[in-house]
Amino acid sequence: MFVFVLALFFFAGIIFFTANISINAGSWVQHSYNGHLSGSGGLEKAGKIFDRNGVVLAQTADGERYYNDDYETRLSTLHVVGDNSLNISTAVQSVYRSELTGFSYIWGLEMPETFRGGNNLTLTIDSAACKTAYEALGGMEGAVVVINYKTGEVLCSVSSKSYDPNDPPEINEDNEDEYDGVYLNKVLSSSYTPGSIFKLITTEAALENIPDIDSRTFECSGSAVIGGNEVTCMSSHGLIDIHDGLAQSCNIVFAQLAYELGRDKMTEAANKLGVNSSFDVGHTPTVKGNYNVKNADDNQLAWSGIGQYTDLTNPMQMCILMSAIANGGNRAEPYYVERMGGGDFEKQYPSEKNGEAMLESDIAQKLNDMMRYNVTSNYGDSMFGGLTVCAKTGTAEVQDGESNDAWMVGFVRDEDTPLAFAVAIEDGTFGISTAGPVAVAAVQACAEDMLANG
Amino acid sequence: MDSFLQSLNIQVITDIAIVALRILIPILGVIVVFQCYSSMRRQRRDEKPLIMLENAANGQVLPVLCWENSVGRAKGNDIVISDDLTVSREHCVILRRKEGWFISDTGSKTGTYVNGKRTEGRAPIYINDEITIGKDTFVLKRAQDYTDVNRSWFYRKEGGKEGIAPFALMMLISIFTLFMATEACLSIEATDFQPLIIFAVFMVVAWAFYIVSTQVFKRVGFELEGLALFLTAIGVMLSVRQGLHQTYVQIIACAIGMAVFCFMIKFLQNPDRVNKWRLAIMIIAVILLGVNIVFGSVRGGAANWIMIGGMSIQPSEFVKIAYIFVGASALDQLQTRKNFIVFIIFSAICIGALFIMSDFGTAVIFFGTFLMISIVRSGDYKTVVVSIVGAIFGGLLILRFKPYIADRFSAWGKAFENSADKGYQTARVLTYAASGGLFGCGLGNGYLKYVAASESDLVFGLACEELGLIVALTIAGAIGGLFFYARAITTKSRSTFYSISACCAAGLLILQTSLNIFSATDILPLTGVTLPFVSVGGSSMIACWGLLAFIKAADERTYSIKKR
Ligand SMILES: [Zn+2]
Repeated sequence: MFVFVLALFFFAGIIFFTANISINAGSWVQHSYNGHLSGSGGLEKAGKIFDRNGVVLAQTADGERYYNDDYETRLSTLHVVGDNSLNISTAVQSVYRSELTGFSYIWGLEMPETFRGGNNLTLTIDSAACKTAYEALGGMEGAVVVINYKTGEVLCSVSSKSYDPNDPPEINEDNEDEYDGVYLNKVLSSSYTPGSIFKLITTEAALENIPDIDSRTFECSGSAVIGGNEVTCMSSHGLIDIHDGLAQSCNIVFAQLAYELGRDKMTEAANKLGVNSSFDVGHTPTVKGNYNVKNADDNQLAWSGIGQYTDLTNPMQMCILMSAIANGGNRAEPYYVERMGGGDFEKQYPSEKNGEAMLESDIAQKLNDMMRYNVTSNYGDSMFGGLTVCAKTGTAEVQDGESNDAWMVGFVRDEDTPLAFAVAIEDGTFGISTAGPVAVAAVQACAEDMLANG
Repeated sequence: MDSFLQSLNIQVITDIAIVALRILIPILGVIVVFQCYSSMRRQRRDEKPLIMLENAANGQVLPVLCWENSVGRAKGNDIVISDDLTVSREHCVILRRKEGWFISDTGSKTGTYVNGKRTEGRAPIYINDEITIGKDTFVLKRAQDYTDVNRSWFYRKEGGKEGIAPFALMMLISIFTLFMATEACLSIEATDFQPLIIFAVFMVVAWAFYIVSTQVFKRVGFELEGLALFLTAIGVMLSVRQGLHQTYVQIIACAIGMAVFCFMIKFLQNPDRVNKWRLAIMIIAVILLGVNIVFGSVRGGAANWIMIGGMSIQPSEFVKIAYIFVGASALDQLQTRKNFIVFIIFSAICIGALFIMSDFGTAVIFFGTFLMISIVRSGDYKTVVVSIVGAIFGGLLILRFKPYIADRFSAWGKAFENSADKGYQTARVLTYAASGGLFGCGLGNGYLKYVAASESDLVFGLACEELGLIVALTIAGAIGGLFFYARAITTKSRSTFYSISACCAAGLLILQTSLNIFSATDILPLTGVTLPFVSVGGSSMIACWGLLAFIKAADERTYSIKKR
């Protein structure tokens, strides 16, 4: 009997292993220590990678992998394209290594060269716009993302700090501080304290739960005691309604609203708008943000409504929220890879799937108008050079209080240039002065390309 | 035309050759294992009764099918006399030896009578003797009628094609090994003819063994030996590009193992002789373990090595053979309680010693084998005792396990999350096994070979990587199939000694294979043990041949056909 059980166990185990390896081989091989893939090994026969305009971003010649000829283009597209290692795990050269190299589980990774053949990948990004955005960052660290909110194509995606994939740095104990986070695509994998951009989420909660919100006025005297402790504002706004409150970014209005709405409704809104969710971009999940006021006291609850406390958001996640506001409530599904080989690949149009409804269309429209009012009344249209932009900036005090995270999120209200964007910069001064110019440069570059190439 | 020829340059031609070899090796491997087993299934005598017991009162006939038959009221007996309460549950045993037939009372209440005289110990019985068991009297008769009873599904029906001839099987294995050697010659890092030299040396050993087996001992079957050679060839070829020295040691160990195999088959010919040696074997095993504990040196966390004259050996491997010897015994001795208690004490000593050495992998194997032997041989009340003892042992196992291999448990199933430390080995096994695909990346082209213990504990991963999943599964199938073979031959073996020893030797090999494969691939959180015949390791290789001898000995053909 026992012997029978043993034999059964043995064969069951073997079958389990076989099934497991057949299903997971593709992901099991994708580890940076895998000797079959290290160096340019594994990529000797990989296909080319193009941007949306046919610019070659990576190619193999004579068994060596080469990246774009232009230095800054290489640095600006590094986190999307990847390098010879698998260190940037979300880059297409890591995620689609099997497809690029023609890996199939049947033949393994060491097929003789004669029989290897890889596929070409065409990306959705515009490398010129990436380069412009990278230059606009001017060495500042952070993330820039611009997507087409109708189709989901990611047009510009830059993560800084970066390095040259033709000459990757040796990272060791001595210089690991300098290269901290260099292997992360911050667009997908970093989250920052949102600051004032979180007021959009508080606004959504107010629009949904407070019927007479439009006619309400608040009084700002530069500071207020909410929940037993002080909340401060940048200036003394006097009597102010929610529209001007958002445009002037008055802390008192939204701290008051968060306190009034309470933990449950605020959490509900944050969850609904995806703050605590992960979104799949192609095959890569974004990092989750954070909105958790379960253990917050009343004052902390108030601060959480203006994007402080323990709040965190991710650039791609905010960009998706922008697409939902721009699209009448339906979010775009961003993706990086337009085509593989000859066929379409991982292509998902909101128009076909109709996205996923993130918020009600009437609330989306109200937010849309309020964000437009931010620009017309505060930032000024001139800043965006002719584009009809709706936006919100944010300046977040980071926990240690030493520096600020500077944000700008928004979208272009135009059928011909349907662009949603999010910019997050570490160690900035103010959202408008630090993130603003970068966002403008990136969006304008994308819009120009869109108008020129259709 | 010229440009076409130029495009077919040397690179392209070698590439085509490499791919052809990669495809041919698994195909040939599957054929070898398939032929071995299909040949085993074909070669089988008809199962007719050897003698008959005719009930003197009503003329009812009971066939006696085995060389050893238990008689009693309990359902598990070979011959069941159910409607008579004066018959004990295990009453007696009817057994055949070279000298003829015997009957041996196994402690029945009412006794066993031959021609009216109560028997003591083994009493010879002859045709037309009257045997009284309980109220019934039986007359011993010759078996004349052919009856097809109790045929195991393992064996094919009569007729059909003959099984593969041993010579053809050897040729297949030789070609298979040659293919592997050729592929190893074309590896990426080194291109030389060392693998072919190794191939030649291995072939000399293998063919010498074949000639001795078929010509000197005149044995008919060669399937088990074929399987062992097949597995050894894979192990040797996986080892070539890792180190030449270890490869030669492996071949020498294989040769010694073959000698042990032949010696043991000779020794096992008479089960009663084995019984006389039982105590001596036990003492030798205990001494071996004692020497190990005192002089053992630590390697890979376990102190299971001793150095003798520059050679490192692993005594616990040889104790496995002794363990089977002690655990199995002939049916009439088997049913005595003393025999069983001795076995339990011996088990406790072995497992205890392995704990002291921290060799937990082997301890688990012994414990599994202990359960196997106990269940195979146990009567009713013994099963209860065994289960209790088993549970206590199991509990001790787990208790002792925790502090030592807590790391392994905590990294279990999370190899990739811990790929830098606790899951280092398993993560690499999985990654590289997956990198090999179905046909492997070619002998010598793997990267797992740079990971410690890849030639022993992780060898299954190495096989997956360099030879591909098909060959790796063929290895597992070759060893797993031993179970069915052992089951099939033991239902009608000459003595329960053979049945038990073969079944448990096969069980031990499968258990060891399970532990090896499943711990390497993160299915079980255990410390590694060797993969029979494939892993590099001299002691293990010799012990595996020894264990195989038990299975070979249980095959009736091993001893019977020789006499013709
Ligand atoms: Zn204010």
